[in-house]
Amino acid sequence: MPRNWGQRIQRTIRADLLLRLALCACVVGLLLFAANAGGVSSAIQTGFGHIVAGILNLFGEDASIVGNTVQTERFGITVVTACTGLFLTGIFAAAVILFPATWRAKTLGLGLGVGGIFLLNVIRLVSLYYIGVYLPSILETAHLLVWQSVLIGAAVILWLVWAGTWGRTSCREATR
Amino acid sequence: MRRGLGRTLARFALIFALSLAALAALWPYAASVYTSAVATVARPVFRLVEAPNATVLDVQGDELSVYRIVGEDRITPVVLFDRYLYFAVVPLLALFLATPGLGVRKRMTRTAFGLVGLFAFHVAYLVTSVELIYAVGPGHSVAGWQVAVRVLWEASPILLWAGLTAGAWKRALLNLRALGSEEAETSSTEPVGAVG
Repeated sequence: MPRNWGQRIQRTIRADLLLRLALCACVVGLLLFAANAGGVSSAIQTGFGHIVAGILNLFGEDASIVGNTVQTERFGITVVTACTGLFLTGIFAAAVILFPATWRAKTLGLGLGVGGIFLLNVIRLVSLYYIGVYLPSILETAHLLVWQSVLIGAAVILWLVWAGTWGRTSCREATR
Repeated sequence: MRRGLGRTLARFALIFALSLAALAALWPYAASVYTSAVATVARPVFRLVEAPNATVLDVQGDELSVYRIVGEDRITPVVLFDRYLYFAVVPLLALFLATPGLGVRKRMTRTAFGLVGLFAFHVAYLVTSVELIYAVGPGHSVAGWQVAVRVLWEASPILLWAGLTAGAWKRALLNLRALGSEEAETSSTEPVGAVG
C-alpha cells in the first residue's frame, strides 16, 4: 500500500472522530438549551403530562392537567425537567454518536434509545402515580432511588444491545 | 440479536435487578454514614474555595442542611439535601456486580476505584451546587451551569462504570463475535442436504 494511503486513512479516521466529537458537543449543547429554555422544557413537561393523563384516563382515573401537574381526585404528580428523562436521553445519544458504527446504525441507535427511554419514562410516571395512591410510604424511595437506578440500568442495557448488535456489524462493515 | 449476546445481557440485567433490589433495601441504613462522610470532606473544601468561609453544613441522620453565615452568630438556611442526593452509589454498585467477565479481585478493585471516584464527585457536586446558589443574583443567572452540573451528577455513575469496565465489555463482545464466527464457519462446512 502506498505510504500516502496510510496517511489518507489516518486523516479520514481523525476527521470521523472529530465529526463525532462535534456532533456529541451539539447534542450536549442542545440538551443544555432544552433544559434551560423555559418554553422548550415546559413544553416537554406538559407533553409528558398529557400522555400520562391520557393513560390514566384509559384506566378510568379521570385525570386532568394543570400546567405540568397531572391531577386526579386521589393524587397528583408534577412533571419537572428531571422527570422527563432528558438528561439520560442526551447521555445515551452522546454514547451512540461516539461509538464507531455506520451513520445508519447510529440513527437506529438514537431511535432505539430515545424511544426506549421515553417509553420507560412514561411507565415510570404512571407507576409512580399508582404508588402514590396505594403505597405512599414507599413513593420517595421508588421515585428517587429505584426508578432512577432502573432508568440508568435500562439505558445501559439498551446501549449494549445496540452496540453488540448493530455497532459490531457496522464496525466490520466499516473495515471492509 | 445473537443468542450469545442475548444471554450475556439477560444475565447482566438479572444480576443488576437483584443487586439493585438488595442495595436499595440497604441504602436507608448506609445513607447517613455516606452523607456524614461527604460533609466531613466537603467542609475543608468549602473553606478552601470561600474567603471568608460562609457555609455551614449540618448533618441530621441522612439529611444534609446547608446554611450560610450572614453576620456574627447569624446563619440563614440555603438548601436541604435528602438521602437520595447520593443514590448513585446504589446503581454504580449494581452495575459493577453485574458486569460480566471480571474476576473477584478485578471486580473489587474497580468497584473501589468507582466508589472513590463517585465520592469525590459527590463532594465536588455539593460544593459546586451550593456556590452556584450563592452566585445567583438580580440579573445574574447561572441556570446553564446548574443544568450542566445536574447532567454530570446524573451521568457520573454511568461514566465511572463505563470508564472502569470498558475493557471487560470489549473482551466480552469480542468473545461473542469470535463465537459467532466459529458457529458460522461450522454451519457453512456442513454438507448441504446430507441424509443421516
